[in-house]
Amino acid sequence: MEDRQLNSSGCGTDGGKCCGGGITPFLVGLVVSLIFGWWVFPDMIYSKKEQPIRFSHKVHMEGAGMECKQCHVLREDGTFAGLPSTASCADCHSDVMGSDPEEARFVNEYVKTGKEVKWLVYQIQPDNVFFSHAAHSLDGCNQCHEFKESELCAQCHPDVANSDSAPTHFENKLTGYSKQTMKMWQCERCHANENHYGVTSSSNACFVCHK
Amino acid sequence: MALDRRGFLKFIGGATAGILATPVVWKSLDDVSIWTQNWSWIPRNIDGANSYVPTVSKLCPSGVGVRVRLVDGRPVRVLTNNDHPLGGGLSSIAAAEVQLLYSPSRMKRPLKRTADGAYVGITWEEAETMLVEGLKKAKGGDKLAVITGDETGTINELFTALAAEMGSKSCFLMPGEAQPAAKAWELMGGEGQVGYDIEKSDYVLAIGANVLETWGPVIRNRRAFKAGRPHGETPSVRFAYAGPVQNNTAAGADVWLPIRPGAETVLALGLANLLIKAGASSPAADFADFKALAAKFTPEQVAAQTGVDAKRLAAVAQELAKAKRPLVIAGSEFGQGGGAAPVLAGLALNALLGSMNREGGIRALPYARKVVPAAMDRKALLQNDLVGWLGKVASGKAAAPQAIVFYEANPVYALPQTDAMKATLAKVPFKVAFTSFLDETAMACDLVLPVPMGLERFDDVDTPYGSGQVVYALAVPALAPLVDARPAGDVVIGIAKKLGADLGVAAFADALKAKAEARGASFTEPSATNAHVSSAVLPVNGIALRADVLSKAIDVKAPAFPVALAPVAKLNVGTSKTATPPFNTKTVRRWEIQGADLYVMMNGATAAKLGLQKHDRIELSNPAGKFTARVNLFEGVINDTVAVPAGHGHTAFDEFSKGKGENVMRLLAAGAEPGTGLSVWNSAGVNIAKA
Repeated sequence: MEDRQLNSSGCGTDGGKCCGGGITPFLVGLVVSLIFGWWVFPDMIYSKKEQPIRFSHKVHMEGAGMECKQCHVLREDGTFAGLPSTASCADCHSDVMGSDPEEARFVNEYVKTGKEVKWLVYQIQPDNVFFSHAAHSLDGCNQCHEFKESELCAQCHPDVANSDSAPTHFENKLTGYSKQTMKMWQCERCHANENHYGVTSSSNACFVCHK
Repeated sequence: MALDRRGFLKFIGGATAGILATPVVWKSLDDVSIWTQNWSWIPRNIDGANSYVPTVSKLCPSGVGVRVRLVDGRPVRVLTNNDHPLGGGLSSIAAAEVQLLYSPSRMKRPLKRTADGAYVGITWEEAETMLVEGLKKAKGGDKLAVITGDETGTINELFTALAAEMGSKSCFLMPGEAQPAAKAWELMGGEGQVGYDIEKSDYVLAIGANVLETWGPVIRNRRAFKAGRPHGETPSVRFAYAGPVQNNTAAGADVWLPIRPGAETVLALGLANLLIKAGASSPAADFADFKALAAKFTPEQVAAQTGVDAKRLAAVAQELAKAKRPLVIAGSEFGQGGGAAPVLAGLALNALLGSMNREGGIRALPYARKVVPAAMDRKALLQNDLVGWLGKVASGKAAAPQAIVFYEANPVYALPQTDAMKATLAKVPFKVAFTSFLDETAMACDLVLPVPMGLERFDDVDTPYGSGQVVYALAVPALAPLVDARPAGDVVIGIAKKLGADLGVAAFADALKAKAEARGASFTEPSATNAHVSSAVLPVNGIALRADVLSKAIDVKAPAFPVALAPVAKLNVGTSKTATPPFNTKTVRRWEIQGADLYVMMNGATAAKLGLQKHDRIELSNPAGKFTARVNLFEGVINDTVAVPAGHGHTAFDEFSKGKGENVMRLLAAGAEPGTGLSVWNSAGVNIAKA
């Protein structure tokens, strides 16, 4: 014990060499953890999943001239139906229409068997968030903005209008939610924007979203 | 370079500082907080399309017309149905119906009681065999009894027809308001079922009848109340209420006349006296007798017997006389046991006011014809007095049946003198319950058969007592039964076949179709209500005021107790059939139930007289029974009266009802009403002592 005290008390008299390598270990630790934290960890916590069918929004929007709401419909009572059912896809794809092998696979595996596609949803919110698509309409936002429908959707959703394949779905290994699930601060880009108050019905009061 | 201890600590320090500057900690904390909301037992919303099923509540005695909202085919909520003749609002029982589908006390499969008293699950085939064997022993000579808790359904025809095929007429309804009213109307010479056109009236006086809580089709009554009193506008109808407790009807009414429990008839005769003096008359043959009887009930006499002072009585009489379309509704403040005399006196008041067969007055509504040939019709069924019959069985004046079938009825809990009635029912060797819940009666049965709940079955509500018009409402299933339950009607038809009887209908659905047809209803087109309204009425001629009956009925010397007992019925705590739905436990008030203790209400003067303070533990006792409770002070109770919340003190059902409070029915002793012979239990008294 006495030796150790003597040794340690000698610090500063030996050009700093006795002090565990000076600042270097600290910097190494810092750099290692920064690399881990910013590059390794974000990749580690998600599992990557692809959609069961490679779906091209581009073909449907540009090729067929469709709009988002033709498949992602609001029901009569204002609730959002979300993803189209196989039956509604079969309105057009009752048989193979093009040359894409994925379409043929969709028709054979799903339309002909009546099976629903287990699409991976990027932005499912937990049950404690009440979100109505009906309230976030073009009519409301375009009082001031000049959004096209796909632009309005892309304010929250990944912009898939011009993509030939759906983005990879990053599923959080712990929570099960997608990486693209919106956090509250993202909602607050509009809800806490004071320029919106009095113009839209938006409010940042808790009870607006959390019932 | 070797890493010494100091160097290692520096490394850790650097790593810690670095990690704090990355998302690792913050993201992990966030993810963990989300993960904690993801556990498998946390209920999740299920997305899907909304659909709505218009139906009528079979669980709520108000027979309220509702819409069931389904998401992706799964019922999530009961909503109002403003188009329905019995709708326009929601009762607290109907509101809980979706949740009750998943009630922990729900019957999931047929059960039989074993020798050691335990219940074991059996198959329907075994259950039906056991039922047939049990009923075979009860053939002939009133050896089978049927007690039904459904006042308005065609199902009663199947049960009574089965009894008739077995040679029995011992079929009974659970006590309610309809029975005394039917008796009173019959005594007056009225035809059909008496109806009350509340919607068109401009002055409604409810004597005892708790019209906004338990009397008749309550939601329809409330709708009429609401429609006549638009917010911010001058009301087009005034409501007055006479009863011992400021209950929900009294709280909503413009005028509350506090009267002693059981003093309804006297109050009505006092008002009749004032109206006759002011020139009111009736073409009834016995008007002179009635006038002579009413003359005895001077304001002073009425004040002495009811507690209502002469000025207030005169004010109500004047309001009645001035009203263009007055309507008097008399009944029991807790929905049963009031006897025929108050209803008779109330109807006589209507006759004096010219309200018979008038818009906004009294209507005579035709009964529907029977659709099961051997059945007992509603009029006959209403004449059978369950409490009177059980009293005779208890005293040996009537033979105990060999078998008894209960259909959605809970007499072991809900009859007056509960302890004695339970002992009487125990004498019956074979008891069967058709029920959705494992209630007190089911727990006393040898065989318990689950029936689908109202939201899971076809059924009907035919013109509930109190309705002002003929209404036939169909209950349609919103979902398939969640448990192994079978519709009671079809089980009865099958059992009858096995016993060698043909009830004349192949399936319960056929009986419903025939009943709908009998009421002129057709449900072939999609409907927003699944209900049919008819304007059919019967003539009201030659009505007698029956002073002879009334003079006998009021000549009752109530047993002398220091404190009168006034049960207070509220729908939110459920019925004997449902107990308190878990959905409604938050609506039970703080000083109504605390832990297992029941709070009873009395006013400050009564409490001071008895030397009691709020929260004191007391014993309420009379020859019928006794229990302990705590005192709550409430100035909305008449002097020398204790108001006891009804609907508590269950010994069966689930953790939300079992062992909570006490059952007031245990303190109500039944007696026979002089002049009518009907059982009555609305004039009880109790001794109160500190416990």
